[in-house]
Amino acid sequence: MRVRFWGVRGSIPVPGPQTNRYGGNTSCVEVRPKGATPIIIDAGTGIRKLGKLFMQSEFGDGRGVAHLLISHTHWDHIQGLPFFSPLYQQGNELHLFARQRNDMHLRAIFESQTEDPYFPVPMSTLKADIRFHELVEGQRFDIGRAKITCTRLNHPWIAMAYRIDVDGAAMVYASDTAPFTDILLEQEFIREPPILGEPIDPAKLAKLEVMRSGLVHLCRGADLLIYDTQFTQKEYCSRPHWGHSTPDDAIAIAREAGVATLALYHHAQWRSDDQQDEILHDYRAKTIGEPFELIAAHEGMELILGDDD
Amino acid sequence: MRITFWGVRGSIPAPGPETNRYGGNTSCVSIRTRTDELIIIDMGTGLMHLGNKLVKGEFGRGQGVATVLLSHCHWDHIQGFPFFPVVFIPGNRFNVYGNAKSSSMLEGILEGQMNPHFSPIYTLKNLGATIDFHAVEHGEPFEASGVRIRARPNPHGVTTALAFRVEEAGKSFVYASDVGYPDSGPSAEMLELYRGADLLLHDCTYTIDDQMTRRNRGFSSYADAASVAVTAQAKHLIMFHYDQDYSDDKVDALRDECRKELDRLGGESIGLTAAAEGTSIDL
Ligand SMILES: [Zn+2]
Ligand SMILES: [Zn+2]
Ligand SMILES: [Zn+2]
Repeated sequence: MRVRFWGVRGSIPVPGPQTNRYGGNTSCVEVRPKGATPIIIDAGTGIRKLGKLFMQSEFGDGRGVAHLLISHTHWDHIQGLPFFSPLYQQGNELHLFARQRNDMHLRAIFESQTEDPYFPVPMSTLKADIRFHELVEGQRFDIGRAKITCTRLNHPWIAMAYRIDVDGAAMVYASDTAPFTDILLEQEFIREPPILGEPIDPAKLAKLEVMRSGLVHLCRGADLLIYDTQFTQKEYCSRPHWGHSTPDDAIAIAREAGVATLALYHHAQWRSDDQQDEILHDYRAKTIGEPFELIAAHEGMELILGDDD
Repeated sequence: MRITFWGVRGSIPAPGPETNRYGGNTSCVSIRTRTDELIIIDMGTGLMHLGNKLVKGEFGRGQGVATVLLSHCHWDHIQGFPFFPVVFIPGNRFNVYGNAKSSSMLEGILEGQMNPHFSPIYTLKNLGATIDFHAVEHGEPFEASGVRIRARPNPHGVTTALAFRVEEAGKSFVYASDVGYPDSGPSAEMLELYRGADLLLHDCTYTIDDQMTRRNRGFSSYADAASVAVTAQAKHLIMFHYDQDYSDDKVDALRDECRKELDRLGGESIGLTAAAEGTSIDL
């Protein structure tokens, strides 16, 4: 399979010369199993240019089928969807997968993104056929030959990590998540961050440990792990309740799960290309001798995993 | 007054080397009045960068007050709001004026943006600053930040967007983004709002061809903007809200075409600027 990054930025798109190399678009990754229809993970602003490219193939004639896995519905993971050109072409099919919510059907959540007065084109009037598939944690399903598994992450309102196994290789997408040590992030709003290092409620800690081992299990032996590493250690300490990790957290998971390549991802909106280079450089030095390769995802980066044509 | 551009792009932020010169952030303009009061027009992603500057002054200490004028609530005009750092600082005060039937409806629209499905902020109530909402009365002058402001709705696809006229010490700035006129052009009321503006910032989303094929979207071409500037006898036209697919070179070409169009229509004396992120114009 081929994995291509279309948006690697967290929280909000950041145009400007300081993000030219890594890219300023929000989360979007394309996974292309050999000879099969595309699987897209997240629909941040990066999906706009992916959609333009799709329109030059069967999607332009209304014969395209794509599957979209959504980690969670925070703006930076869905804000590109109304600008995904294949949705405006009759005949195209989009299968959208995301975690089931208690209060609202997935379709209603996505429709409210494009309702008046926020967007001029309501989702219900789009010409393509959009089908919603609600997921529960741990669910397994197939997209063609690809086997998909998922587990939940530690993020406000809860995000999902996905694993795709196909063509004799496996990739995992784990964004957005906080580490599993200091705070349990679920439905409720947390105003004040905890004091780091203070003991936390044992019931919550137990839940975090289950979550973490679920993620390590999901990542086991993967060829590629894409991980939310928005924060430096210092940034994390003042914002542990925002629901994002540091490279140290990602490295620990990669090591335990025995992955081959770890990709830093969901770069902070305030991070310049030079600063991101520095982070990669520092952590490469720290991980010399580790059994995995460390990379930092940038827009346009393409990786080939397992069999490919 | 000093007008500064923080975001000049339409519809969706457009990062990449091809937009470095004009900028890829969505709509946001600030006005500093002669008495150093702050007015913000629209809250696209450019707002975050304005906020990063404001943090260094009185807004960083929770002593800032600003007027916010919202043309309408399409995403590209409000998506910077949850990333405006000074809105989290208690003590700061914002008076938001927008196009809604009531102030509570306007508040409800911005509340919807913070819904926990979409935003980790959950609700406007979690913002530290004090925010007061005001539904604008069309055509009625009001005072804010010590200057006189008037607003009227322009047609914008299936909805409307407010245009604002801001006046201080005999000088006038008009903000008219996101507008697609009928064949008959702007209404007499709108022309009255634009009339004689020292600076007319106008929607310039498209080339003539792109505007023709996308008329239903409710945006203007550079030719529409030039024609309005000449008819309203504006002194200077500012191009704004470029299509997300237009590169810097394309915007350069748009500006050259717009100059020709102004001249062709007898507007040789009208100044022309293609708004670029990070630049200012003093009035
Ligand atoms: Zn995110
Ligand atoms: Zn998130
Ligand atoms: Zn707009």
